[in-house]
Parts: sequence; structure tokens; C-alpha cells
Amino acid sequence: MHRIYAAAIAIALTALTLRAAAPESSDLHGTARAGTNRAPNVVVWLDAPNLPGTAAGRTVVLDQRNLAFSPDVLAVRVGTTIDLPNNDRVFHNVFSFRDGKVFDLGMYPVGASRQVTFDRPGLSRIFCNIHPGMAAYVMAVDSPFFAVSDQSGAFRIAEVPLGTHQYRAWRAGAPQLAGRWSGGPLTIAWP
Amino acid sequence: MKITIATIMLACAIQAAPLRAQSLTTEAAVSPGVSTEENISAAAVQLRAFGDLKAGIRFFAEAAWATRSDDDSDVFGAAYPYGNRVDVIEAYGERLFRPRRAVVSVRAGRYRTPFGISAGSEHGYSGFLRAPLIRYSEYFALSNNFLEHGGDVVAGVPWLTVEASVGRPADVGSTVRRPGVDTAIRIQSFVGPFIAGASRLHTMPHMPHVSIYHLPENSSRGKSVFTGIDIRWMHKGVQLRGEWITGRHFDDTTTRGWYADAIVHRVGMGPVTAVARVERLTSDADPDWIIYAPRQTIGARIRIFDALSAQLNFVHQTGDLAWYGTRAFDVGITYSIRHDFRND
Repeated sequence: MHRIYAAAIAIALTALTLRAAAPESSDLHGTARAGTNRAPNVVVWLDAPNLPGTAAGRTVVLDQRNLAFSPDVLAVRVGTTIDLPNNDRVFHNVFSFRDGKVFDLGMYPVGASRQVTFDRPGLSRIFCNIHPGMAAYVMAVDSPFFAVSDQSGAFRIAEVPLGTHQYRAWRAGAPQLAGRWSGGPLTIAWP
Repeated sequence: MKITIATIMLACAIQAAPLRAQSLTTEAAVSPGVSTEENISAAAVQLRAFGDLKAGIRFFAEAAWATRSDDDSDVFGAAYPYGNRVDVIEAYGERLFRPRRAVVSVRAGRYRTPFGISAGSEHGYSGFLRAPLIRYSEYFALSNNFLEHGGDVVAGVPWLTVEASVGRPADVGSTVRRPGVDTAIRIQSFVGPFIAGASRLHTMPHMPHVSIYHLPENSSRGKSVFTGIDIRWMHKGVQLRGEWITGRHFDDTTTRGWYADAIVHRVGMGPVTAVARVERLTSDADPDWIIYAPRQTIGARIRIFDALSAQLNFVHQTGDLAWYGTRAFDVGITYSIRHDFRND
């Protein structure tokens, strides 16, 4: 009789262990393409509005170096503060006047920095008023699940809850794409 | 010889960059312009290459070709060297150190004389088609085309820096200084919306036979010494800036000048940057008369699309500048392209 109890307990514990070990989230891997080419600097995110947690207090750097912003494309969660240090010997004057976050940071010299909090979702086009060749994009998304594709077009969003999700993808100069993803590699493709 | 050396430096920088650079950016800009003043037309091409080398050294190289329909004109003065040939403007390497919160930067090569608001980008982009008269080459003051072969150090903290340069004049354009050793020192402070600087330049006077004035050989003698103050203030897309200089272009002469600019680019103005300038220059360096040059400019820079912009300036000038005409309308367009290579 004791053996039967022991076996039942063992089976129950094994079942519980297996259930605990079953994944509740997985990484989303994917590739972005434009035509036949791999597409770098594509922002991919999953809809997750009103999810608990916040980006308040989180700081991300958008560097100004060699008369360029680095990175060219930055994705942040709404509420993130972006630090914009000037690491060039010339002055820069960062501004964004079009969509998204509107600001003008004025001129500041090497070694100085200014900060901007992106407090609502949307795309901001960032320029320098002194160096017309300098441009960057900041995409603020209302989701903790986002990524920017690398030079090979690959991207990875970590720890996505299992289930079906609405995804969106943006790249400069192209229409925004959307679709649904429930697992497996995701291919984002512009014609 | 200087041009040859500088050309080799530029060529080496551009050639070496793709092989060894961690990053490389190349830019090209084409800028034709016309003015109703003497019906002058001008065209210029600029090429730039800059980036990071693996050793933490940055490089910057710029060359320009420019021509103008009349060499003796006042139009678009010192915006480019109008020699109808390719000139190396800048070609230098620099390294930036950030010990704690301090800034130390060392630069060597060929670079613009660090006096006042001297960065080419600040003059070239704002929307003005003509350089300030105090940087106009031909009026016995400074020049946008003053260049140094030498070394330059900036040290301090972001809100207060000191810059010192020792070099030899290596100018391009219509006014070229005599050979010799020169020094420039600049102090700059940055507090809130204000940037203020004070500069002093101790250099050689220009050679008389290359100036458009063709001065007697013995008139351009001694040392050229200038002191200047510059200030900038910015708030919500409005920038006010000004420079004032006093000094002598050569012994027993006096040159004084100033300008005040307003540059407005506010939310709602879209692609338009509006500019206005008032300026004065006086000099007794020419033995024939005392130059008195007042000028007022209003204009705009309009970004038509990312690579193409147009500049429109209306100029009103009196005093000795009235000889060229009291009013002028300048139009220029700039088409620029840029490509980034990043190997990191």
C-alpha cells in the first residue's frame, strides 16, 4: 500500500516539476528584408499596451560623434529618457520638430549632454541644426517587447509570453507593416 | 609645396580610412549661386571624409573646388577659396580624452585657425551666403580661409575650456599670410543658454601681392594681432550670436569690426530657417582710404528635401561697399550626399 502511495506521490511531483519547467515565454527570432536585401535598422515590436512595469528612470544613450548620431535608429519603451552627449569638438544643436516628441536642445559643446524623455508612443525624427547630414530616428513604443534589426537584418526579442501577438515593423521610408505571430521565426518583408 | 603636402595628407586619409577605420563617413556637396550684385555667379564642390581609426584617433579631411565669374568681386567672399582648383581645406587627426568629467583634445595637421566662431559648419549651414565681413579675407581682418599647419589642444571641463594652437599659416583663397610661426588662444564658457568666448591671435600679415589690393611690398610688415569676443544665446529655436574684434592686420594699422546674427528655426517653421545679420567693419590698413563697411542681411535657408536646400539672402550695404551697389539679392542651392561605412 505504501508503495502505491509513494508511486502516486512521485508521479504527482514529476508532473508538477514538468509543469513548472514548461516554458511560459520564448525568444522571438526573426529577419527583416526589403525586396531581396536584408534590412538593417528595422524596428519590430509586439503590441502590449497597459502592461505592468514602466521605463521611467531608464536611460539610453544616443551619442553624437563624428558628425553623426549613433545609433541611427533607436527603439525605446515609452517613458525612457535618452541621454544625448556631444562627443565632437564642434557644437551640436539637436532638435525634433515633426512627429513624435517635439524638442530643441540648443547648442552645447564637447563633453556636455542633454536629456529628453520620450513620454508617448510614436516616431521622432532627430536632426542637428548645424550639421544637416546628421539624422536619427527614435521610435517610442508602448511595449517592453521590441528590437532593432542588425546589419544582417536579424533581430531578437527576448522572453515573449507564449501566445499569439500582434507585431508591427517600421523602417525609414517604408510603410509600417503589421501581422500576427504565435511562435517560430518571424520574417518581416517589404516588397 | 604646402598644397602638395596637404593633398597627400588628404589622399592618405581617404585611402587609409576604408582599410583601417572603425567608421568612415563621406560627404559631397555641390553649391551653385548667383547674385544680382555685378551679376556674379559662383559654384563650389566640397568633399569630406571623416571617422574613427582603431587606435582611438579620429580623422577629418575636406577639400574644395570653387570658382566665381569675377575674381575681384565682393560677392560670396570667403565662403570658399575661388581659385578654380582643388584646395585641401582641412586634414587633421585628433584624439579626445575624457579624464573624469574633464575634456582634453589634441589635434594635429591642417585646420582652421581657432579664433572666435571659426567652425566651418557654423558659418556654412546657418543660411547666410556671405561670411561675416570680419572673416571676408579682403578687408584686413580675419578670413574663413585662414588655416594652420600645426598642433592644437583643448583642455578643461564642458563649461570652461581653453584652446591653444601653434602653427604656421597655410591659407587658401585670395589672401595668404606670410610664412612664420603663429599662435592662437581661446577661452570658452558655456552656461545655460549662453556660450561666450574670448580669443587672441598673434600671426603674420598677409602677403601684399596676393591680396586684391596689391599693396606696396613694405606696407605689409610686422605682426598681425587680433583680439576678439564672441557670444551666443539660444532659446527655443532662436539663436542670437555676435563677434567683435579689434587689432591690427600689420604694424601701425587698426581694424575693428563686429556682427550680430539672429537665426530662427522654431516649431511650425517646418523646413525654413530665417536669418538676419547686422555688421560693421572699419580699417585704415589700406594706404589710400579708411575702409568703412556696413552691411545688413536678411534671408532664409529652406530645406527642400533631405539632400537639397536653398538659401536666399537680401543684402543692403552702404559706406565703401556701396561701390558694388547698395542692394543685392543672392540665391544659392546646395545638394549634398552622405554615406556612412561602419565596420564595428
